[in-house]
Order: sequence, then structure tokens, then C-alpha cells
Amino acid sequence: MTTVSDAVPVDMHGALPAPRERFWYPYLLIAPSMITLTVVSLIPFIYTVYLSLHAAKFGRVTEFIGVDNYIQLLTDGRFWNSIGIALVFVGIAVPIEFMLGLAGALVLNQQIRGRSILIPLLFMPTMMAPIVVGLLWKIMLAGSWGFISYNVLERFHLIGQTSVFASPDLALYALIFVDIWQWTPFMMLAFFAGLQALPLGPYRAAAVDGANGVQIFFNITLPMLTPLLVVIGLLRFIDAFKVFDTVFVLTGGGPGIATETPSILANKMTFEFWNIGEASALAVLVWIAFFAFCNIFYQVAKKRLNAF
Amino acid sequence: MKKRSWSVAATLAASAIIASGYGASAQDSFYAKAAAPYKGTTIRVLDEITPLQETLSKIVPEFEKETGIVVKWELLNHFEVINKGQADMLSGRGYYDAVMLHGFQVGPMLSAGVIRPVDDLVKNPKLANPKLDTADFIPKPYKTLAFANGKQLGFVNWNYNQIYWARADLLNDPTEKAAFKAKYGYDLAPAKTFKQMLDIAEFFTRKKGAMLAGKPLESDFYGVVLEGIKGGSTFGTLWRDFIQNYGGDIMDAEGHPTFNSPQVIEALKMWAALWKFAPPGIAEYSLVDVPTVMGKGIAAQTLAWSDFVLGVDKPGGSPYAGKFVYGPIPVKEGFKGGRFAEAEPSITVISTGSKHPEATFLFLEWLVDKKQQDKLVALGQGGVPIRETSWALPAIKGSSNKSLYAAMKSTLDVAAAKPRMPKFYEIYDALSGIAQEVGLGKLSPEDGAKKGQEAMLKLCTKCLM
Repeated sequence: MTTVSDAVPVDMHGALPAPRERFWYPYLLIAPSMITLTVVSLIPFIYTVYLSLHAAKFGRVTEFIGVDNYIQLLTDGRFWNSIGIALVFVGIAVPIEFMLGLAGALVLNQQIRGRSILIPLLFMPTMMAPIVVGLLWKIMLAGSWGFISYNVLERFHLIGQTSVFASPDLALYALIFVDIWQWTPFMMLAFFAGLQALPLGPYRAAAVDGANGVQIFFNITLPMLTPLLVVIGLLRFIDAFKVFDTVFVLTGGGPGIATETPSILANKMTFEFWNIGEASALAVLVWIAFFAFCNIFYQVAKKRLNAF
Repeated sequence: MKKRSWSVAATLAASAIIASGYGASAQDSFYAKAAAPYKGTTIRVLDEITPLQETLSKIVPEFEKETGIVVKWELLNHFEVINKGQADMLSGRGYYDAVMLHGFQVGPMLSAGVIRPVDDLVKNPKLANPKLDTADFIPKPYKTLAFANGKQLGFVNWNYNQIYWARADLLNDPTEKAAFKAKYGYDLAPAKTFKQMLDIAEFFTRKKGAMLAGKPLESDFYGVVLEGIKGGSTFGTLWRDFIQNYGGDIMDAEGHPTFNSPQVIEALKMWAALWKFAPPGIAEYSLVDVPTVMGKGIAAQTLAWSDFVLGVDKPGGSPYAGKFVYGPIPVKEGFKGGRFAEAEPSITVISTGSKHPEATFLFLEWLVDKKQQDKLVALGQGGVPIRETSWALPAIKGSSNKSLYAAMKSTLDVAAAKPRMPKFYEIYDALSGIAQEVGLGKLSPEDGAKKGQEAMLKLCTKCLM
């Protein structure tokens, strides 16, 4: 039996540069992406940190004020409200998207008829621009004239004399519903792609051993799919926490502050109140929270789930 | 017949004015001489797009012909003109030489130091038109808008104002009149007090299938519609139309917050009471949606911006055009204080980043000159005047829509720019959220007043500049 280790370099027969040049070669290759990342990501981030430590009202950066912006933010109930809203949003939307997506992927993975038509159709909500998604659901659920709100919700007295997006009790759940509608197909297709890439060997062995469907799912499919599930789940978590566009179009953070996520609050602080220092502090705090969360998540996923 | 003769007269007057504008010797005008050193200069001006500016855009090219100054005049919608205009001014880039600011924007922009005062330009005999006749500007909006801290910021360009707007065909229907009198004990007529407005709202709110003015309703009908979106002018309506006409205010003369006063609570109670008779989506309605709802004929009355009426109450603007009536903003029953009304006098200011302040100033002067204002009213077959003498122009005096102009005048007689508050946006955002919550019944008026007071105190103990 012949094995090939990843660690063994392929003999390039003179194609490799001289040893001195070989040292710089990898750096040269990643230089364009590193330079791009530095310019579009690192420098703006450092500047955001700088702004967060300064009084910056109306776009004018004045004196250094240390952590005053952070203190102001951490003692502001509105900031904590926005964090709470985002956690409720993520806590409901992402698990539902995850479970529906996985279930849908397992169904798609069976040789169902019409799959080749279904898959492109499933991509549609995800391919839509968020502004279009917002407008679409505005038309569907607008108070008194919305296609669904007028023809279904009001006609059958499911909600009376109220507009979904104008109701402090319903608006957030309507936004969660829209997010699930938009992103479940993405999860489904990502998981489906993962399922398609799994090797057939273990399944053949399980069939020989007489394992049933549930045993195969929990002992073969799920463990092999875990790295993908973890990465997709994490990406959706981060993305859902930062949700902005659909909220902006559908409720603008209202009614009151019932759907004001951190991104909406940061936008308001920047472009309505022109309090750029505090908005920068918000951005940095959210980044720190994500950095910490992602690190913990990575360690847990690596050690407990063997995902990385 | 009388209406027709007035309309013919207005058209003739418009033609005469336009013809005189083109026929006059451009070289002889004050602006032609004053602009000689700036000939060929290009200035950029940002303004808002409403039916008024659309009409003005037909006149602006005359300035270019007259002076040789090239004007890049950009029109954007309400929200964009605020965001883009402020962003440019605050950046100091000066892409726009002049930007239109609503009255409420002036306080924050002044505190940011991005408005160039025009005192030196007004005092410069080479640039100041001696015949501008600023005494002709409708006084209260002009004086409260164009001056701050002893300095002049510009002139007054637009006198946006709110009025009471109702369905005349319903208010005059004999069956409805009789039923209303039997129920409330007084004659059905355009509301002069908020109590009457509430009675009308309650009376006309009906379900699909019920009779309205002798016809069965094909969809639900609402007694009132108000702007309820967070942001926009929702809180302005609550503040200037309701709270102030109940004798309250959000702060005292020194700028100390007074949002928890009994008068504010009383006004919030009326605000919440009216929302019960409004369409279910009221908390999503912006200043654009309110006239749309009125134009579609699904509400009996509103408080709305009069410039939007010009786009709705005209042939082709709405199936109900010609069936509306207008009036002054209602007040609290028995209220003895001075009358108030929501208005947003707006000003085009020169940005501190402008590289051509002199040429820009000449354009701003030219815009508010009586000659241009007369043309604007004539071409628009009416409009919203900034000059007292405009009320006497044929297009306004002879308009078939007399109650509209009477209502506008009643508002502009008392209309003032918003007080200068550096934290206006934060205050407005907090209080407009409370306005929504009280309207939706999620907060009691008492709790709303308490919460509003706390929110204001957190932002400022002395909120004026």
C-alpha cells in the first residue's frame, strides 16, 4: 500500500527558486492579499479605535478623551437594548435556519425528482439584494394594504387593526421570519454541497454492517459534516448579529427602539447624530465581543467537536 | 365662471411675467452687473425636490443667462438632501457651495460651525441688491430662521407648513351632517379644536360594507391619518401642532426640558386617542404616505404639509381632487394662549467649504428676489409663498382653492423655525420613539411624558444653543 504524505514536497526538478529567494517566495505570493487587507480592513479598524478614544462630533476629531465614549455607551440602556435585540434575533433565526437547512439538505440529498430545478429556485432568496428583500416583505406585510397582511392576516382576523412592522410586539419576529426566509435556502444548499462531497466508503461499510438510517446519520453523516456545520453556523451567526439592511428598510429600528440592532444604532449615531466617537466605540466593542466569541468557539469546536 | 376668469387671468399674468423676464435687458440688471467679476464661475447648489422646486428649476436657467454664472442645481428627496447635504458641509470638502437646510438642521450645523454667515456679503454694496426688500418676507419664519447669534445665515427659501386637511364632500354630506349632529350635538364642519377633530375621527371610522355618504364602503375607512413613522416629521407634528396648542412645550425659554408637564400629558392623550381611528399602518406612515392616503380617499382628515397638497388636490392628482377643504391647525378647546403650527421654514446656506461664496450669494439673493418669487407662484399656478406680497398674486388670490391658501396663511402667520438645539437629532429621535409608543398604546401618556423627560435630561439639562 502506498501512502503520500502532505508533508513531502513535490520534486519540481529545478523549478524551485534558490534558497535565499525561496525564503521570500511565499511572502511575495500572499503580499497582494495582505496589502489589500491592510488597506481596506486593518487601517480603517485602527482609525476606528483612534476615533473611539477621541471626542468626534460632527465629523470633527477634537481632544483625546480616553475611554469616555466606552463608558457613555456601556451606561446607555439603548446600547444594551440593541445587544439584546440582536441576541434574540440571532438566537431564534440562526438555529431555525440551521435545522431547516440541514433537514432540507438531507431531503435534497435523496435522489428526489426535480432536484435540478429546485436547487436554482432555492438560491433565489439568497441571491436577492437585501434592499429588494426589504421592499418585497414591505409589500407583503404592510399595514392595511400588504398582500399577506390584507389578504390573510386581517381577513382571517389573525391580527386585527395593526401593522406587523408597526407593532412593537410583532416587528422583531417579522424581521426574524424574513431572515429565515432569506437565509434558510443558503444553509440548505451549503449543507447539501457538504453532503454531496462526503466519501461513500463509510456508508457502504455501514450498509454491510446493517446500520439503520438514524444510526448512519448520527454516527457517520453528522461527524463527517461537523466541520462544515460549524463554519457555516458561525458565519451565519456573525452575519445575523450584524443585520442591517433589511431592518433598515422594513422598520428603521422602530417602532420605538423595538428592532434597533447594534448596526442600526451605529448607523444612527454616525449619520443622524454625527456622534462618530461613540459610534466607533460601539463598533470596537462589538468587534471585541466577536473576537472573544470566535476564539472560544474555535477552541471548543476544535477540541470537543474535532471540527478544525 | 368666476373661477375660470381668475384662471385665465393667472395664466396671462404668468405669461406676461415670463415674457418680461426673457425680454428684459440682462446686462442692465443688478445681478448682471454684480456678477461680472464671477462670470464663468460654476457653483453647486443642493436643494430638495418637491413640486415647488420642480417649478423653480424652470426659472434657474434665467440666472445663468442673466449673470454668466453657471449653476449646477441638484435636487434630492427629503431624506437624501439632509444626509448628503450635511455630510458635505461637515466634511469641509465644499463640493456644494450652498445647501438647503430645513429649520431643524440649522442648530446642529451651527454648532458644527459649517454655515458661513452672510453679514459681510449683505453689507457689500457690490453684492447686496438694494431692492431685495427683505421687509416683504413673511416675518416670523424669516426672522426665526435666517438669524442666529447676531449673525445672518441667508434668507428664507421655502416656507413648508402644515395645515388641517379634510374631505369636504363628507363634511358637507346632508346624511352625515344630520347623523353627526344627532350624535355629538353640534354641526359637522372642519375641526377647529382637537376635540372636534377627535369626534370627526370617531364618527367617520367605519368598516368595509358600512355606508359612507350614501355609498357602501369597499374597504375600511378611517377617521384620521397622521404621520407616525419614527423620524420624518412625526414628532414635529406632535410637538408644534399638539403640545404647543395645548399650552405646553418640550422645554422652557431657558432650554430646560419640560416634557413631563400636565399640558404635554394632555396633548399626548389626544395624540393617542386619535391614533385609535387611524389606519393600522400609521406607525409606518411618513410625510409622503399621509397625502397618499388622503388622495386615495381612505381617511377623512389629517394634519399634513401643504406643499404635498399641491400635488394631490389638482386634476389628475387624485380622484378626490376638488373635494377637499383646508383649515388652520386645530387647538385645544378653550385654549387662550397664542396659536401654534408645525412649519419648517427652510434656508439655503453657504457652506464654509464654498470656494465661491460671492457668486453663490448672488444666486441666493436672486432666488428670493420678488421677481423670481412672482414667477415661481405664476408658473406653479400657486405655491407656498415666502413673501407677503405673493398672497395678492392672481394665482393665489384667484385660486379656486381658497381654503388651502387661507389655511397656509394662518400657519405662516405663526410659523417659526425650530429652536436652535445642538442635540436636536438625539432629542428628536428619543421623543419620536415615545410618540410612536404612546400612539400605539404601548406607553401611557403619563409614562411617555416621564420617559421623554428622562431622555431629554440625559441628553441636555439646557438644550438650547
